[in-house]
Amino acid sequence: MCNRISYVVWAALVCGWLCWTPEAHAHKMKLFAAVEGDTITGYAYFPGGGKAKHVKVTVRGPNGEAFGEVTTDDEGAFSFQARSRTDHVLTSESEDGHGATYTVAASELPESLPGMTVTAGGEVSTPAAAAPPPDNPAQTPPATPPVEVVERAVAAQIRPLREQLQHYEDLIRFRDVLGGIGYIVGVMGLISFLKTKKRAKDR
Amino acid sequence: MHIADGVLSGSVLATGAAIAAVGVGIGLSKLNPQHVPRAAVLSSAFFVASLVHVPLGVGSVHLILNGLTGLALGWGAFPAIFVGLLLQAVLFGFGGLTVLGVNTITMAFPAVCCYALFRKAMKASQGYRTFAAGFLAGAGAVALSGLLTGLALAASGKAFYVAAATLLAAHVPVMLIEGFVTGAAVTFLVKVRPEVFYVPARGPCCEESACV
Repeated sequence: MCNRISYVVWAALVCGWLCWTPEAHAHKMKLFAAVEGDTITGYAYFPGGGKAKHVKVTVRGPNGEAFGEVTTDDEGAFSFQARSRTDHVLTSESEDGHGATYTVAASELPESLPGMTVTAGGEVSTPAAAAPPPDNPAQTPPATPPVEVVERAVAAQIRPLREQLQHYEDLIRFRDVLGGIGYIVGVMGLISFLKTKKRAKDR
Repeated sequence: MHIADGVLSGSVLATGAAIAAVGVGIGLSKLNPQHVPRAAVLSSAFFVASLVHVPLGVGSVHLILNGLTGLALGWGAFPAIFVGLLLQAVLFGFGGLTVLGVNTITMAFPAVCCYALFRKAMKASQGYRTFAAGFLAGAGAVALSGLLTGLALAASGKAFYVAAATLLAAHVPVMLIEGFVTGAAVTFLVKVRPEVFYVPARGPCCEESACV
């Protein structure tokens, strides 16, 4: 009787510990970045586990040319001054093998930036030409605020939305977990089937 | 513990994939058809354990359960862990497909070591000794996984000492919790379902060596 109670206690402890999770999140590093004016700001974080502090973030062009390197601060945040209107590929990597990539598209950067850049080695790289859309001055009323101001305001407005979208993506959904278990059952069923078939043949 | 895509060098990835393929092959050939459901259960447990996060200190930790998988499956831990890791990578972006081989080795090799080291001790003992064997297997498997991950990073040109120290320091609480959970699970299973670890009584044809 006493033994039986101890099993139940053990089982309850294990189950309780396993279930005691306020939220289920993946254990990996992720990057978030957005453009403010001509500056790329963002942060590195572990979904569900806080911000990734003091992590190197390498900024590269679309063809792999190095633009620079920044390190996240105590809040996991970083900022990088964009000098050209090209795709910026941000890559972070921690010492224990976690890493993440985030691409800031050229179209997010202001049109005032040059579309061509000279790399440190003096090599001229020509990324996807960011041709400015044809302007039709006749249709633009004179009272319209400058495009940059509008862009900046819109970017600031949609930033929380984008953050929310990304965090929504980070969530582990119950249906995915169940689906994964279903796959395991299927795969093991297949192995079992193949093994018994082979055995039947051997006999 | 999951190494991300794009961190390791090509040669390390290729070597890892080759060794993991051999391990999975050995595991599959040694997996008795009767034990496939057991492998499925432990593979599922491994798959889910890494998704359940408990906030601890600055970060969050999760169980790995490779020690328990090894104790119950032996070489069968290789296919079980491979399937779990594959699904974690595809469904949740844990690790990645290119590093699948290396991640399989870092988690499944310690599992096989636990099997070799602790299964006999666990079978021959009772009560708190069973718990101790389970605890050592659980904690030891996590520590060895950390060391192997550090080695894989070092082989790709990262600083081994920094990587291993960061990993092990972060995993000390995981080792303790994992040891406790594995010990508790083993003690519980040995009492209520001993056939998880022992050969099912199916006559003399089914010796342990044949049933691994």
